[in-house]
Amino acid sequence: MRKPSFERGSRLQYATLVLPGMLIFTVGIIVPMVLSLRYSFTSWNGFSRDIPWNGLENYKRMLEDPYVRDAWRFTIEFAILNTIIQNLFALVFAVVLDGSIKGKRIYRTILFLPCLISSIVVGFIWLRMYSNVLPAIAESLGLGLSLRLFGSPGTVLSGFLIANNWQWIGYWMLIYVAALQSVPPELYEAARVDGASKVRQFFKITVPMLAPAFTICIVGISVGSLKVYDLLVSSTGGGPGRASTSIIYLIYNTAISGRQYGYGSALSMTLILVLLVVAMIQISALRRREIQL
Amino acid sequence: MRKRTTNAVKDGPRYTVGTFVLQVAMTLIATVVSLPVLITLNYSFKSRKELYLGSPLALPQSPSWDNYASAFSRLSMGTTFLNTLLYTVISVAIMALLSGAAAWAIARNKGRFFKFSYVYFIVGILIPYQALFLSIYIIGFTLHLTNTVYGVILMYIATGMSFGVFIMTSFMGTVPIELEESARMDGCSVYRTYWSIVMPLLKPAFATLVIMQAFQVWNDYLMASLYVSSAKLKTLTVAMQTLFSQQATDYSTAMAAIVIAVIPIAVLFGALQKYFIKGMTVGAVKG
Amino acid sequence: MKSSRLFTAGLALAMALSAPGVFAQGKVTTVKILDGQSTTDAGIEKFIDAAVAAKYPDIKLEWEIVGWGSDFQPKMQQYMQSGLPDIMIGKAQDVATYASQGVLADISGKSYLKNLLDAAVASGSYKGKTYGVVINALYQGVYYNRKFFKDNGISIPKTQAELQKVIDKCKALGVTPFATHFKDGWSIGNVTMQFAINDVFSKTPNWGDQLRAGKVSYAASPEFKACYNYNKLIYDNTWKDETFSLEQTECDARMVKGKAAMKVSGSWSIQNFLDVDPSFDFGIFPFPNQAGNSKLIYEPNITMMKSKESKVSDAVDKVFAVITGDKALAQKIYDQTKTAPMIKSVTPTYPNPSQKDIDQFAAKGQLVDAGTGNNQLVWGGFQDENAKDIASWLQGQISLDQALMAADARKANSKP
Repeated sequence: MRKPSFERGSRLQYATLVLPGMLIFTVGIIVPMVLSLRYSFTSWNGFSRDIPWNGLENYKRMLEDPYVRDAWRFTIEFAILNTIIQNLFALVFAVVLDGSIKGKRIYRTILFLPCLISSIVVGFIWLRMYSNVLPAIAESLGLGLSLRLFGSPGTVLSGFLIANNWQWIGYWMLIYVAALQSVPPELYEAARVDGASKVRQFFKITVPMLAPAFTICIVGISVGSLKVYDLLVSSTGGGPGRASTSIIYLIYNTAISGRQYGYGSALSMTLILVLLVVAMIQISALRRREIQL
Repeated sequence: MRKRTTNAVKDGPRYTVGTFVLQVAMTLIATVVSLPVLITLNYSFKSRKELYLGSPLALPQSPSWDNYASAFSRLSMGTTFLNTLLYTVISVAIMALLSGAAAWAIARNKGRFFKFSYVYFIVGILIPYQALFLSIYIIGFTLHLTNTVYGVILMYIATGMSFGVFIMTSFMGTVPIELEESARMDGCSVYRTYWSIVMPLLKPAFATLVIMQAFQVWNDYLMASLYVSSAKLKTLTVAMQTLFSQQATDYSTAMAAIVIAVIPIAVLFGALQKYFIKGMTVGAVKG
Repeated sequence: MKSSRLFTAGLALAMALSAPGVFAQGKVTTVKILDGQSTTDAGIEKFIDAAVAAKYPDIKLEWEIVGWGSDFQPKMQQYMQSGLPDIMIGKAQDVATYASQGVLADISGKSYLKNLLDAAVASGSYKGKTYGVVINALYQGVYYNRKFFKDNGISIPKTQAELQKVIDKCKALGVTPFATHFKDGWSIGNVTMQFAINDVFSKTPNWGDQLRAGKVSYAASPEFKACYNYNKLIYDNTWKDETFSLEQTECDARMVKGKAAMKVSGSWSIQNFLDVDPSFDFGIFPFPNQAGNSKLIYEPNITMMKSKESKVSDAVDKVFAVITGDKALAQKIYDQTKTAPMIKSVTPTYPNPSQKDIDQFAAKGQLVDAGTGNNQLVWGGFQDENAKDIASWLQGQISLDQALMAADARKANSKP
């Protein structure tokens, strides 16, 4: 049998196929992460020569800092609401646009296009919408509503939910569409023959087949929402006041203009931890569900 | 080939009253969704004065291409467009190659190293590079990578690897292992097998990955602003943010700039829809 | 697949080869510039390029332009790690910040400094040495609609009581007293500093140092409390529901159209005012302080600094000489930015209706340098963060005391 030496030599060759990518990835992502970890235990200001160690001080401070609390609150609210709303609408649109109405392709394309636009641009466009366009529309229609959603701390979250959903619903919708289209029609046939109603068919057949898509969408939307930054930069800049400061925005501000890079790094580490935990919990819970279904 | 029954309950959808209602609803929704884009287009043809003296809903009084001309020069379109194109094309091409190779090697081997590599790459998807930006910058300048073409390309490769490996491993099932085995038995090295046998079969996978990653890189802001800030290396998105913040008083130019920037992506997407959608749906389909 | 790969490789090669410097073009000295611009400064780099190229064709300027408010400091921080550009263009207040870190070149005694007004040289100096070339100045105060005031017999208020009378008169006539755009956090920060200059630093010039030494605090300072309260006064007398959604241009357009009578601002608004209506007649007066003796604020603005470690120091000096010596260039800059000259013997030709008011205050010696405040409390990381707290307070999310205490809590960041 030639196999043993065949395999060992080639094992090495396979490994070399992995290595270049791994090296670049390590240098570009992992090393900075380790560096940030180190800085998180210091009180470095980001530019001076000395980097004084201060142990767990930053982490302790983080627990009591009201700005951190508010930023997390905003970010988490944004992520949760987004996940629910975006998923729901993506699914609803996917179902509607997989049915009997005409011109499905066109609708799908229109809903999808906004995700091709960079978040910086989306933020800017919606800033204009809320400051100028929507108020003008409201005026001309005689509605009394103030649609200046970015102008007050109570409504700024809704403003961003709308902007972000506008941008991404089409994307997740296409994932659901693909999942829906992969359901073999025989299953529906068989159910119909057995006398099942449309609603029952939906819950017993469609929903289980959507499970993997569901996992992807939930994890994707929640992780993406927790990382929101570009959208804020070009629109409210975290305001009014601090009402729309997300955790990454806070990190950037603290580390740079606040000249507290050590503290900012500690905040980053916490964010990364939260992202990992959130994703892993969701993946394992949803995967388990998938298998059951 | 599934036989279609003539009974119109499931296939051959019936156009009912309910359907009509949905049709109207969707048309309304589509209009509302297009509104921001249409408004942007509208603004792009208006003069600066019309912005604050007229209503945002009014059509331009004397539509002109002035804003586009000024956007072109403010964004140094020639330079920034080419820069963005260069970084995108090269970083995505190399990233695709490297993740394809890594994913294949991982898929074909059971050893601990390969299992570890898979997890190592995948975990990277969750790490937001925005949170690490200053460290990323420090690494960059220590290695003399900042404000260089190859530096930013390297960083885009680094941040794309996780996603690349994830997508490529999902596609590995489409490569029949028998072909590889016969090639190996004929004496081909691992590399040769990959290059001549596996890669051609992975063309759709590569196309998918390239499309999905290309538009991430094209629209990227933070990495580009960190690594290539000098005027001659700037990217389109960074130039646009400068335009937005700097020319806050002149957003008519900004509007034209947005239209200019979005068009290439929209065109690319239109041409390569198929692969894009395929990439998005990988893993969404059971089995 | 293969041919497209060749294509991209070829493209990359072409781009790399076309990068300047690969093919030597004779001895060209490249000078790198980081320029932190305000909205009104956009485009002056082209004027400077043309002027320098005309005099020194062997000097090439490489510009990196960022917005001063949000990106100048982050970029400086980045570059302090890797190597600063040869020239940094910021505001006069940056001289104190960066000279104290030892990264600026000492340009005291250079010949081109003689082209500048004495006030300019003073503003560009730190601890007796000159580090920055200040080329223009802004005026800050309350812009008012001169016609509106005249037609309604309103005289310039010098005390808070008189100001209140003006506010009441405006309201009675159905005109919003103050035009504001609080969406721009920096405008809140700016006006608060204007108040502080005339209420705090006029009495205690080193209030900032005392704050950091623990001798005074925002929470215990009746003067700063008054300054914060002026913000409330303005907020209560402006378009409250809209100001956090309104941005600069619209706010200024409304003022020109007569919807508001006054705006606490600076020269940067002139460009907008004249854009909307070139015949708009406006004047300026300092916001009344508690003591009734406010001075008009002038702020030394665009300031050019040289990096200590620049390898092309002589070329930088030549560039500075051109900028300060070429009167036609200076005039173009002033006319574009609508600011006041700091270079000797250059008179801008743009019409500035507020100039007569400025001249009056100058004649009576009632001008004060914004540096008295900005060199005591830094903008980035301190003033701008305080502005956010003020915005939160005005919108009812925190109390005034909480906002003042928050400022105290970050005093470690206030050192310029």
